[in-house]
Amino acid sequence: MSMANRVALAALIVFALLPLIGSAGLTADLAIYFAYALFAVSLAFVWGQAGLLSLGHGVFFGVGAYAMSILTLGMTPGLTDLHSTWIGLVGAVAAGALAAGLTGLLCFAGKGLAGAFFGVVTLAIAFIAERLATSSTWLGGLNGLMNVPPMTLGLNGEGRAIFDALPLYYISLATLATAMAGLSWLLAGRFGVLLAAIRDNELRIWSLGADVRRIKIQAYVLSGAVAGLAGALFVTQFGFASPSLIGFSLSLDVLIWVAIGGRDSLIAAALGAITVRLLESRLADLMGPVWPLILGLMFMASVIFFPRGLFGSLIAALERSGRRQDS
Amino acid sequence: MERLAISLLDGTNAVLVLMLVSLGLAIIFGLMKVINMAHGEFIMLGAYGVMALTEAGLPFWPALMLAPLIVVAIGLVAEELVIRRTYTRLLDTILATWGLSLVLRQAIILLYGPGSHAVAAPDLGTISLFGSPYPAYRLVVMGLSLAIIAGTIAVFFRTRFGLAARAVIANRDMAACLGIDTRRLDRFTFAFGAGLAGLAGAVMAPLISIDPAAGLGWLVPGFLAILVGGLGSLAGPLAGAAGIGGLDSFTSTLASPIAAQLVVFIVAIAVIRLRPDGLVARRRRQA
Repeated sequence: MSMANRVALAALIVFALLPLIGSAGLTADLAIYFAYALFAVSLAFVWGQAGLLSLGHGVFFGVGAYAMSILTLGMTPGLTDLHSTWIGLVGAVAAGALAAGLTGLLCFAGKGLAGAFFGVVTLAIAFIAERLATSSTWLGGLNGLMNVPPMTLGLNGEGRAIFDALPLYYISLATLATAMAGLSWLLAGRFGVLLAAIRDNELRIWSLGADVRRIKIQAYVLSGAVAGLAGALFVTQFGFASPSLIGFSLSLDVLIWVAIGGRDSLIAAALGAITVRLLESRLADLMGPVWPLILGLMFMASVIFFPRGLFGSLIAALERSGRRQDS
Repeated sequence: MERLAISLLDGTNAVLVLMLVSLGLAIIFGLMKVINMAHGEFIMLGAYGVMALTEAGLPFWPALMLAPLIVVAIGLVAEELVIRRTYTRLLDTILATWGLSLVLRQAIILLYGPGSHAVAAPDLGTISLFGSPYPAYRLVVMGLSLAIIAGTIAVFFRTRFGLAARAVIANRDMAACLGIDTRRLDRFTFAFGAGLAGLAGAVMAPLISIDPAAGLGWLVPGFLAILVGGLGSLAGPLAGAAGIGGLDSFTSTLASPIAAQLVVFIVAIAVIRLRPDGLVARRRRQA
């Protein structure tokens, strides 16, 4: 088992036992942070594994959140009786995948945009998506969609609604763990090898006969789907979807989480998101507007001094010491 | 007819300022291969510079001259502390400058608060153009921008600095072998590009609402301009800025600013698709 997987398993055990000792407030906070962590995982998947630096990843999270809200609020055009959590989840995943697919087609078709400018184009898409959401009266304009119902177990919004912190905590954790296990399984196989190879030398893989463009779009669609799922998971707990989810600010946030946590492995990104959000919730009140400044400095420092991120460097260090003991 | 003339003039104004912005971006990218995501913040700092200096009692025109120099100084410091440490890692320059932009925005929020400010335009009155009054200050903005663009071209094609810079753009290692101090050149280039952005912000200060996010709106059009125009020459970004800025003002007048953003983006992507090296592609010598 690789060191990253071992760390992931250890983290899963710790988080599974945490509600036994942690306060109710912490459990409720963490349930939402797991949705953020899932979002960070979706970015680390394309950035760390495929080398696609997506600066506008918030679009897919936001699209998922809005899709979930529309489908459970009964706002679907022509289907006003629809309130199903299940269809909402499917819709959010599909919406995230679709948005990512369109972006991928736009960016990777033909000669394709060189790595750096791919990021700029995705950023432009995030700006436009935020403007569109803000100006759309159907989507509630600047206020967004409010009173999004919590998850319900029934087929169409009836049955038991999940309000309590503890079930929410375990649902979020299970979703995060399942998605990460699935992605890790993919990365361990042929697809993961191809992605890493494209990241390291795209031209070589292309000349070896792989359909680079298709693989990149596949990876991006998968990432968009996971981000959409994260958005849905988030909005059922948070209760409203606003334009800030779909655009610039959350895109920058997730980039910071992944950069600070580590882009090379999914677990490092997830822990980065959870750590930064935890710090933020404990320190933001204390420090007020100084906090984003400190976050920005931490972000820059981690880019310059720890390009692998805090948890990424830690995992690498554990790996080295493990090898030394083996030999 | 009058309305058309006015919006044409406003459009020209926007195009010229966008030219300053994308020139700075293109010079920094061309020389240093750094994608400067903090460029918008340099624009914002230029505007805040004018505001701070006029509030400190300085008359408008000296403030306008001084503010870009402050941004140049900030650019120098940023280059020394942040940018030069990520030179060899292209994607990391994006992250580092993105972080820098966040830090600069937050620093401004701490200093001046999150609200928006305004600078009074110097009262130059209006000039009658095409039978309708037009604020003279906007004409001054256009004149200044044109002069700076011409000056930048002159620096690049008429000075030793420009010669060295073009040599580095063409072949960095060879230029270094010939004894050009590329390290010093990088520092100057980054400061120069930052200064252009600061100047754009300074001249626009009386015309916009000055808030911490003021620069963000320029960043994406600036990048689209250099992508559309092509990066091989100074003409590329200028042509790109003319196309992007012109299309944006035109569609904004006809429809709405949001429609304009969409149209500009779609057209830009189409152009990049059809001509990946930009409208003004540098002819490559066949090896």
